[in-house]
Amino acid sequence: MLTMSKQNTPAGRRYFIRTMAFMGGYVAVMLATIGGAFDAIQGKPVAWVLALAVSAPIAGQIWATLSFMRDSDEYVRAVTAKQFIVAAGVAMALFSAWGFGESFAGAPHAEGWLIYPLFWAIFGCVAPLVRSSN
Amino acid sequence: MKNKLKLLRVERNWTQEQLGQALGVSRQAVNALETEKHDPSLDLAYRIAALFARPVEEVFENPHA
Repeated sequence: MLTMSKQNTPAGRRYFIRTMAFMGGYVAVMLATIGGAFDAIQGKPVAWVLALAVSAPIAGQIWATLSFMRDSDEYVRAVTAKQFIVAAGVAMALFSAWGFGESFAGAPHAEGWLIYPLFWAIFGCVAPLVRSSN
Repeated sequence: MKNKLKLLRVERNWTQEQLGQALGVSRQAVNALETEKHDPSLDLAYRIAALFARPVEEVFENPHA
């Protein structure tokens, strides 16, 4: 997630600030939820507000990534897109395999929201390896 | 794509950072061009050629010729 902000460019610095803001909100809501701050509303329709609130920073992070690509040069844009596609593909393949494992092999249930941290963890592994736009 | 970008840059004693600034791209982009990890767009190829006052095909080898 932060590999892109390592570039000392205005776009890289803006991306870093936006990432810190969105992920700060994401982590804060997650920690509050894990800490039991929203236990009283869980299972009730109003809990959808909580679900949307914790998901909103994810949409924000995608916007930050697209803005970074828009404001970067053609090489950075192409490599970022390639890294994103590879990471998304690997994350979807792994999570789908786990889902089929649940259906067919009795694997323990994995919550759907895990796809997001899984994607960025894979992105962090993939980014140093994908340095060519070709 | 094979090119003479590094040769032309070194002839002028420019760093990758300086060339990037002259072209309006990052140092990483200059490095990727020099190491053939990025094929430039037509627009960038013309900007590079104009900066060095050379025809595009003198800077970038035409792989189809």
